[in-house]
Amino acid sequence: MRNWARGRGFFAGMAYLNVEGAIKHYGATTALNGVSFTVAKGEFFTLLGPSGCGKTTLLRSIAGFSQLSAGRVTLDGTDLLAVPPHKRDIGMVFQDYAIFPHLTVADNVAFGLKARKIAASEISDRVAEALATVRLSALSERLPAALSGGQQQRIGIARAMVVKPRLLLMDEPLSNLDAKLRLDLRDEIRDIQRTIGIAAIYVTHDQEEALAISDRICVMDSGSIEQIGTPQQIYGQPATRFVASFVGTMNLFAPAAFGLPDVPGVAQWALRPERLRLAEAGASDDSSFAGLVEHFTYLGREAHLTVQAQGHRLVAQIAAPPADLAIEAGREIQLSFDRADLQAFDAAGRRVRTERVA
Amino acid sequence: MSAVAFLAGRGGWRPDFWTLVAVAAWAILIVLLLIPLGLVLVSSVRDESGELTLANWQRLFTSARYFNALVNTLIVGFGGLAGALLLGSVMAFCMARIQIAGGRFVSIMAILALVSPPFIGAYSWIVLFGSGGIVRQTLMGWGIFMPPIYGLWGILIVFAFKFYPYVYLLTSGALANVNRSLEEAAENLGLTPFQRVMKISFPLVLPALSAGGLLALIHAIADFGTPRLLGRGFNVLATEAYTAYSAEIGSNLGMATTLSLVLILMSMIFVFIQRYMSRRNVYHSNLINRPEKIRLRGFASVAAHAAVYFIALGGAMPAIIAAIYSVRKTNGPVFQPGFGLESYSRIIATLGDVVRNSLLFSGASVLLIVVIGTLIGCLVARRNTAHSSLLDATLMVPYVMPGIVVGVAFIAAFNTPPLVMTGTAAIIILSVFIRRLPYAVRSSAAALRQVGPSVEEAAISLGYSPVQAFLKVTIPLILPGIVAGAMLSFVTAVNELSSSLVLYVGGTITMPVKIYIAINDGDYGTAASLSTILLVLSGSAIYLAFRLLGRDERALL
Ligand SMILES: Nc1ncnc2c1ncn2[C@@H]1O[C@H](COP(=O)(O)OP(=O)(O)OP(=O)(O)O)[C@@H](O)[C@H]1O
Ligand SMILES: [Mg+2]
Repeated sequence: MRNWARGRGFFAGMAYLNVEGAIKHYGATTALNGVSFTVAKGEFFTLLGPSGCGKTTLLRSIAGFSQLSAGRVTLDGTDLLAVPPHKRDIGMVFQDYAIFPHLTVADNVAFGLKARKIAASEISDRVAEALATVRLSALSERLPAALSGGQQQRIGIARAMVVKPRLLLMDEPLSNLDAKLRLDLRDEIRDIQRTIGIAAIYVTHDQEEALAISDRICVMDSGSIEQIGTPQQIYGQPATRFVASFVGTMNLFAPAAFGLPDVPGVAQWALRPERLRLAEAGASDDSSFAGLVEHFTYLGREAHLTVQAQGHRLVAQIAAPPADLAIEAGREIQLSFDRADLQAFDAAGRRVRTERVA
Repeated sequence: MSAVAFLAGRGGWRPDFWTLVAVAAWAILIVLLLIPLGLVLVSSVRDESGELTLANWQRLFTSARYFNALVNTLIVGFGGLAGALLLGSVMAFCMARIQIAGGRFVSIMAILALVSPPFIGAYSWIVLFGSGGIVRQTLMGWGIFMPPIYGLWGILIVFAFKFYPYVYLLTSGALANVNRSLEEAAENLGLTPFQRVMKISFPLVLPALSAGGLLALIHAIADFGTPRLLGRGFNVLATEAYTAYSAEIGSNLGMATTLSLVLILMSMIFVFIQRYMSRRNVYHSNLINRPEKIRLRGFASVAAHAAVYFIALGGAMPAIIAAIYSVRKTNGPVFQPGFGLESYSRIIATLGDVVRNSLLFSGASVLLIVVIGTLIGCLVARRNTAHSSLLDATLMVPYVMPGIVVGVAFIAAFNTPPLVMTGTAAIIILSVFIRRLPYAVRSSAAALRQVGPSVEEAAISLGYSPVQAFLKVTIPLILPGIVAGAMLSFVTAVNELSSSLVLYVGGTITMPVKIYIAINDGDYGTAASLSTILLVLSGSAIYLAFRLLGRDERALL
């Protein structure tokens, strides 16, 4: 479906941007607590994490607008921190848009091209193309004060991408758009990034967006990196319980529940909702169990079940539910899962390898 | 954070542009402010023979005369503040949120009130409402008794109409910038219109309101023209200080400087209270959703118009009276029935160089104020360091320094080598410059804080150097503020009286000083026509600002 998917994982070794031990203190708060990662050329790298975890701080440090308390940043082999911000050639889409209120939409987009002393005719071509990409051609002569939040946000995207920077930093660039436009624009952003072959760091709160768009995802929490990996790794093999429950939904249960053996070192089991199945009524192999339905939600493509079983509340996701499937609340049903799908975490929340359990 | 911080930070001790600005700022403040002020301080604790003494300070608290003046100063200060707040906020609300016919005319009137030349203002009130005043006599003729406008109440009325524009100009700007979504959100959450005003709009405009109130308060306690002409025995610190300094016999410089220091201290305390109050209330507006003016109908509309025009005309009245009196027929200093241009022809014949001096001096000081003030303003707004806070705090001193003190301090500092400037044009230009510098710094810093650093950062990320980004993005955004500040500076410079009064010599006499002398000599025709010329100059400066900017009165903020 997506041909860049083949290249995933391949990027991990080739450092283009290299951030090492980035630390940033704001007085008593530590916004970044020793962050290290690399981004390869042409890679789409996403920062995912809860509000206040330091995503913006990290981007601003790379762009040069806030100084790291400690750490190194190199881009293409040169020390980035020694280069003044305006010579870094790093495009940035600001979380608060930062649109120039005194310039028209077209002038906003042309602003960076003018700094690069590009011929006027080429500037107008590129501006027109960029505005078409973000669906703003009709508004090119307007002043930003007369635009909606989402429209301003799109100026910010066009303005940063049109200059084809060496590295593109995007701080929640689609947060203010409707669902359809979000999907369209995220594909556009991805296409352009791939065509120009630049590295991009993308910040989002939206885990689905992160999974869909990224070559690799970096999950952060409270100024530290929890895990870096491909979308498959992040979703399928979360390194910590935080990652497991932040990305997607996770059923968590105690070590001895559902007839599971007590494995030393395992403090908690976790199971994705889509790994829980409806079992035949009356069937009782050792991994099937009975539960009481609390909610049933039919969503067409899938259905969600909330079930109370052995003191745990579990969520099950049933793919392609038959049209006549309707389970009223209060009914008892049988559920089952494969032990191979279980994930285990230790008391500190770190993933534990548990081949023996299966 | 921003470009400025970057330059300041990394890359060793390369003296970049902003470091140079900081050094220059301190050099200016030390030479023009700290040294002269230090000499004033010294003179308040010295007697005639140069011995150290606390006698002046002792007299301040033991003599009933000076203690009364202290209390009276507080009374007129807070009375003036209350009046200015009342008139200013009514006017601001009506102008920012209601469609008022002739709105531009009204804001010109407000500015006329601000720029009425000193002395002629109080004189005009006496012309109308004094014991022999036209209005009072007419009313008495109809059998209506009206007390003359002397004493405390007269001073308070004059102050309210004289100082309301500070509150009005600052607050209407803030009101017009409150993001409408905030008020709509409050409405949506079920707040009544009154609750909405109290809980949303009021806290958001509080910084502007208190800043305007502060200006009114500081001017009210430093004003000495109004109490001098209207007080009739009601003395304040400023008048006592002036009396102590200017008495032909028994001039007591030590007492004058002591009283002035008390004035400065008092103003300083008010400044810090105001800053503390508005500290928590700084917010960025992202200019997405501006409020619209509502159209009132019927009685409400009549009431709003009546309030606005009453305040506007009341404030502009002294200027209007001066203009009328300037074209009354005169014979020497005495008014005759009928109209004529004798006063103006006398000015053309004999006072051409006075007009020229005024223009030259104010032009030069405005140039200095704008360039240096804007640079320091950017430094203060964007560099959040201990050093910039100290600079900001030091700039508070000239902000609250009465003109007389500046004059006396400059005489003390620049009368003897190494730097002798007394009697030159430079000393008058620099005295105006240092007094008005804080206004330019504050207004450009405020404009800059409104802009927020991220647009400048956006320009830098697109490849502009910090200086280019500043010139291409920040300057255009704060230009309305700068031009407006320049115009207000010109207006205040050209009307500057009290420090020039101390510093002038025959060759450097300016229009306000000449007006002062003319009123004291009873030559009201000359005073009125000079005042009118000043008004026309001030008015055209402001008109020019409007035209250049192509905006409404908000551009002045
Ligand atoms: N200028 C500042 N001064 C003090 N603390 C700050 C400053 N900027 C950020 N912080 C703190 O640093 C931490 C990280 O902030 P940051 O803006 O990087 O979060 P974020 O991950 O971008 O959040 P969001 O998703 O809400 O945008 C937060 O706890 C924040 O309060
Ligand atoms: Mg952020």
